[in-house]
Amino acid sequence: MSATRNKRPLDAGHAAYLALNALLLTFLLAPIAIVLVFALNPTPYISFPPVGVSLRWFGKFFAGTEFMNALWLSLWVASVVLVLSILIGGACALALARGNLPGRAFLTAFFMSPLMLPAILTGLALFQAYLLSGIGRPVWGLILAHTLVAVPYVIRTTLAVLHNFDRRIEEAAAVLGASPARVFFEVTLPLIRPGVFAGGVFAFIVSFDQFPVSLFLVVPKGETLPVVLFNYMKFDLDGAIAAASMVSILLALSVVLVLERLIGLKAYVKL
Amino acid sequence: MTSAAIRLEQVTKTFDSRVVAVDAVTLDIAAGEFFSLLGPSGCGKTTSLRIIAGFEHPDSGRVHVGGRDITDLPVHRRDMGMVFQSYALFPHRTVAENVAFGLRMREVPKSEIARRVQAALSQVALTGLEDRKPSQLSGGQQQRVALARALVVEPPVLLCDEPLGALDRKLRQQMQFELKELQKRLGVTLVFVTHDQEEALAMSDRIAVMNKGRVEQVGSPTEIYERPRTRFVADFIGEINILEEAGVARALRPEKIRLMPPGGARLAGKVETANYLGGSTLLRVRAADGRSMLVRETHVGERASRAPGDAVGLTWNDHDAVALEG
Amino acid sequence: MVARNTISRRQALRTGAGLAAIAAIGAPSILHAQTRTLKITTWGGKWGEVMKGTVLPAFEKEFKCTVSADQAFPFVPKLQASPKNDPIYDVLHTNSNEQWNSFTEGLVMEKITAKEVPNVADVYPWAASDKIVGVAIFTSAIGLGFRTDKGLTKPTSWKDLADPKLAGARGGYIIPVNSLGQCHLMMLGKVYGKGLTDLDAAYKALEALKPIKLVDFTGQMEKMLLSGEVSMGVIHDSGVYRYEGPNMQPVDFASPSEGVMALEQVLNVTPGSKVKDLAFGYIDYMLRPDVQKMLAEAVWYSPANKKVKLDAKYDEKLLTTPAKVATLIQPDWKWYNARKEDIDARVTKILKG
Repeated sequence: MSATRNKRPLDAGHAAYLALNALLLTFLLAPIAIVLVFALNPTPYISFPPVGVSLRWFGKFFAGTEFMNALWLSLWVASVVLVLSILIGGACALALARGNLPGRAFLTAFFMSPLMLPAILTGLALFQAYLLSGIGRPVWGLILAHTLVAVPYVIRTTLAVLHNFDRRIEEAAAVLGASPARVFFEVTLPLIRPGVFAGGVFAFIVSFDQFPVSLFLVVPKGETLPVVLFNYMKFDLDGAIAAASMVSILLALSVVLVLERLIGLKAYVKL
Repeated sequence: MTSAAIRLEQVTKTFDSRVVAVDAVTLDIAAGEFFSLLGPSGCGKTTSLRIIAGFEHPDSGRVHVGGRDITDLPVHRRDMGMVFQSYALFPHRTVAENVAFGLRMREVPKSEIARRVQAALSQVALTGLEDRKPSQLSGGQQQRVALARALVVEPPVLLCDEPLGALDRKLRQQMQFELKELQKRLGVTLVFVTHDQEEALAMSDRIAVMNKGRVEQVGSPTEIYERPRTRFVADFIGEINILEEAGVARALRPEKIRLMPPGGARLAGKVETANYLGGSTLLRVRAADGRSMLVRETHVGERASRAPGDAVGLTWNDHDAVALEG
Repeated sequence: MVARNTISRRQALRTGAGLAAIAAIGAPSILHAQTRTLKITTWGGKWGEVMKGTVLPAFEKEFKCTVSADQAFPFVPKLQASPKNDPIYDVLHTNSNEQWNSFTEGLVMEKITAKEVPNVADVYPWAASDKIVGVAIFTSAIGLGFRTDKGLTKPTSWKDLADPKLAGARGGYIIPVNSLGQCHLMMLGKVYGKGLTDLDAAYKALEALKPIKLVDFTGQMEKMLLSGEVSMGVIHDSGVYRYEGPNMQPVDFASPSEGVMALEQVLNVTPGSKVKDLAFGYIDYMLRPDVQKMLAEAVWYSPANKKVKLDAKYDEKLLTTPAKVATLIQPDWKWYNARKEDIDARVTKILKG
């Protein structure tokens, strides 16, 4: 136990590896850092170095009824999208992986297709379809649109889990006397849950951050946060945008953390 | 524990309407018997087992267990135990929960479940590991959990699909003994699928050798080894010399051949290679007529009496050269 | 482990129920079927605040209707994608060039006259000129914004932007996506060549402005001037004057001697509108002197109605007299839009290098 530890010599490769890591981290975190500086800086424009620290932009954001309405709408829509895409995406993935469906490859591509289409076209196409069919632009129409682009994420993550799934485990349960329904709830569901919920987290974030699909589908006074921020930016490019971005980031992060806590995403990752 | 006889009657199963996996197989497995399905991969042994378990529905033919036709009975109503090669433990449940699963499905009272789980775990020497997750166990331990989980419901039939395939050699031999011993003690009918002929010979009461979806021969290990009926069986089990004499193929085991000086032997030749196997040496002898013969020489002294290059004579008793069908 | 998960699932369900409750509160209310609805587009920002806070409620009260005001871009594509016989907007409020695009596609009417909108009789000629489809209600003047703390003399000509001292400290626009950038390009043709349509001269002059900082939103130019990132840039007067008060920075607006370009706020009616009378009524309302005054002073726009009397501070700086209005040059968007693709390709090439 007390053997002297061999110190690994710091070679060029290792140094390059560390440098690359640092570079990547900077690349990923720098935008957030800039947004944070902008959000806390009291001037209505980006000034560097910052002239001080103030919460006035956070105040403006939280006091703005438009911002708050949009924030709640976005949270609500994203939550419904989360639930819907888990149900639809989970079921689709199971059908694709297990259903012995004819033309499975085609169906998989079909269900993934919302990801291939530029989201702005999806939004525009749905906008036209809704208007032409006289539906107008109800909130559930927006939710359906978000669900459409969110479902592929759940399908992907669930399929990934199902791909590595040892079906003998289900067979073992069946031999032991579990009916197909019990096999599903006792074995299949708990085992694919990490994949489904990982997809659900994606779905939530895809909806919460969704701009291109929403662009055409939001109605006056029923705009989601990204749309409100975009329009706000065209007229008032001040720190409230940065504050809103920080709030969005933190909210998305907390949703991920809460889901992790509630469902324990990590608990079953190792199958 | 009760045990049940199994009867497969002209069972046929075709996949993708092309590959005939099981071809008109008829088998009678006695209650309490240790019965092996032996054959190379793709011979239909696993499919046969899965038909007994109910995972596959035969295209034609019937399956009877305990005198009852269960062909159309769903898996979960068949009341069987099964052990898989991959063990198929529930990774999200503890050892105790894994073992309790079948009892829970049968709605056994909780207190009784606890008692029987304990008993089953002690039977496979796993007491104390109740709260572990399968991923925290060694391969051998997982194997035992799988066994305990299958046996705790006291099934009349236990199906094993290459259950020892994933274990290393030493552990595997130990488990062979344990499984055999457990089966005899419990009296359960055990259907054992394996591609390992030694394992089948060591453990089984009877063996069915399968090839291309058909049963080539059913018999005790001795019958299968000593009296192979077909060229395939003779070839698949152990080393064999096939002699063609007057249009009849005969199988002759290497250990049935005796070495002698070349003069007066049935066959004379020269040792080409000698593979030292510890208790014996396997010699490859090139006969004067060009035939290659395998000869097993059991050591009396420390090593074999012949080395490559030695001229030898071979002889054997006529009744040891078994005539093959077809 | 098992117990924890059971509770978690219940908690999750409860959270779900809570969100559904929020949904019920947050969902947009359904409008009364009897009240007529006027669907318009309008700007956000300070303009939007005044509209939503004062102008629209007063209009709704007077005309006994509901106004659904869309502040979410892009207005024209949405209008384009909606059925012509049941358009998504009754009144389209955009800058002049987008109106021309919409008109070309038959999405809006050609002219709004005093016949439909009586107050049109009182507007300056620019607001109803042949360069306008619909009717303009306000205009900004596009000129040069500059820092007063960088030792610069107040620019008097568009050529001052080309001063070598300003290399890298001058600001312009990504021309394909910004009207101010497009106006600037036309102005370069006039200043350096034979006129607004002399593109060759304009391209040459544009080349000479490099290095130049480019933005796509007008708001970004305002911030670059405020933060001192650029010392001089193309901007509309409103974008400088509105930063008065405690946030005032050493930034001022200059109207070059060659003239300022007009950035008109135009209203127009969609031919398929089911509430045309209301739509015309709305435009007439927006041209009322009191409404014009309120909005002009809120965002520093020059009103179209000649009868508007602004407070001295606004009157001094905005285009409120025939003499001042005469400095206003209106771009020919019909001409520009017809060759926009070629221009976009050319300027992108010029500004990329």
